[in-house]
Amino acid sequence: MNERDKGMAIELSSLSFGYGERLLFEGFNLDVAAGEFLGVIGPNGAGKSTLLKLMAGLLKPGQGSVRIHERELRTIGRTELARTVGVVLQENPFAFDYTVADVVMMGRNPYLGRFARPGRQDRQIAASALEFVDALFLSDERINAISAGERQRVVLARALAQEPKILLLDEATSHLDIAHQQMIARILVELNRQGRTIVLLSHDLNLAALYCSRILLLDKGRAAACDVPERVVTAELIRSVYGLEPIVTRHPETGRPQVMLPVATGSRG
Amino acid sequence: MRRRLLPGWAGLVLLFVFAAALSLALGPGGLAGTNSSAVMNLRLLRLALGIVAGGVLAVVGASLQGLLQNPLADPFTLGVASGAALGASLTVVLGRVSGAFAPVGGFAGALVTMLLVYALARVRGRVTVTALVLVGVIMSFLFSSLVMLVMILGRRTLGEAVYMMMGHLGTVFTGTTAWLFGAAALLAVIGCGWLFSLSRSLDIMSSGEEAAETLGVDTQRVTRTVFVLSSALVGMTVSFTGAISFIGLVVPHLVRMLFGPAHRRVIPGSFLAGAGILLLSDVLARNIVPGGLPLSIVTALVGVPFFIYLLRSRL
Repeated sequence: MNERDKGMAIELSSLSFGYGERLLFEGFNLDVAAGEFLGVIGPNGAGKSTLLKLMAGLLKPGQGSVRIHERELRTIGRTELARTVGVVLQENPFAFDYTVADVVMMGRNPYLGRFARPGRQDRQIAASALEFVDALFLSDERINAISAGERQRVVLARALAQEPKILLLDEATSHLDIAHQQMIARILVELNRQGRTIVLLSHDLNLAALYCSRILLLDKGRAAACDVPERVVTAELIRSVYGLEPIVTRHPETGRPQVMLPVATGSRG
Repeated sequence: MRRRLLPGWAGLVLLFVFAAALSLALGPGGLAGTNSSAVMNLRLLRLALGIVAGGVLAVVGASLQGLLQNPLADPFTLGVASGAALGASLTVVLGRVSGAFAPVGGFAGALVTMLLVYALARVRGRVTVTALVLVGVIMSFLFSSLVMLVMILGRRTLGEAVYMMMGHLGTVFTGTTAWLFGAAALLAVIGCGWLFSLSRSLDIMSSGEEAAETLGVDTQRVTRTVFVLSSALVGMTVSFTGAISFIGLVVPHLVRMLFGPAHRRVIPGSFLAGAGILLLSDVLARNIVPGGLPLSIVTALVGVPFFIYLLRSRL
């Protein structure tokens, strides 16, 4: 199916944003088609998290517009937005020790009236979200007592309980072991196959190159490249943005580009 | 699930009933007094005052701890209770009015303190656990001193000043203030119910403001509502009882041990437990020493070790 037929999920046009005096983004444009799996990579401070927060409505752009499913973001009420866009942030501290089931049920908030209690349907949706991330067995555990990989899946399940069409993930796989990284990747691929639009911020170039249909390489608030992985994860672009000499090979199964680093020598003596 | 919680609720209700009965039986005049209706009226008012004050302080403590994601927050540690005491004292002394306007002054003092402490503790957009409590305790110290100053300049007795700073349930009611207290009690129940209605939002906000926004919670509105409601509730209460320490700190933690952190249980549980524990503290405060003690002496003896324990387990 041609992705363009389904319209745009996220459109940023002539976006400007900065913290204080310094403008990080200036006249920034980006279109994310519905059903796309976009990877966003770039060095620390390139503006990845800021971009995600602008897409999620957590930050207001100084100038320009953010559109979600072809509607201005600022005209969408917060409840409706929470039903459309699910966000997994980088840090997920819990000040109090809720059970995993309680945490996932928070994802049903945009569907519940102020005094309404979660009903049978909400519990079913929460349970199947947990099942989808292979974490149903954790239901009765305390959120602060489970491992980082498990917590990441639970927070993802909370976002899935929102039944969003668009998922924004900030470093969903950082500080996870390779088995958990693989598990999250499998889950995201499956979600994307079901038709969800996914924007994945990652420091893991290989993960992004393997699974994303398109990659945005950010460098100090501007798009150094935004294209299919083969045209973004290249030695030239990585050298110019990260300032190091990578070895770019091909994944033996798919031919997608994969990056290796040269051996760092202690040349400082 | 429900059945597991039943013993906890039963325990809280028992504690509450026991405390209320003890408070009625051991009031002024001793056991013999229970035969006189005038004495019983006094004791019933004192009981009602204890229930409202204990319930309100504990509910406000639970809400503030949830909102600020800060286990050390309570009306006393944030300086709000002392701010309310100052507001109430100023109204009474400067206004040369009857006690009738004290609750309004208390509210104003509490709200100003709340906003002041929050603003001072906010460094580069972040409010840390320790900064908030440090600023709160310092403000508390300042406002307590100012209460004393206001009372002395207003030619009030030292006893009155001490009770305003450290709390008591021995408020002398006249006809007007009894009615006023009735109205305040009604408002207190409504206010606590309002905070209860924010339970789910408070739960969600305990995983961070940004995450809560993405889940559809209007964090600014919740923050504003909790601040204003807490100030109104504490301000009203303190204008009748003075500033009582640590009830709002200790009680919500005890209730969380029983029921877990979900606010829809912690808030009503805190009301019951707060009322019960305050009444028991009052019984102690009245009977340890002839003539009675300010309430905060008793509550601080329990509250301070608890506070230190929380601080050390958190840092």
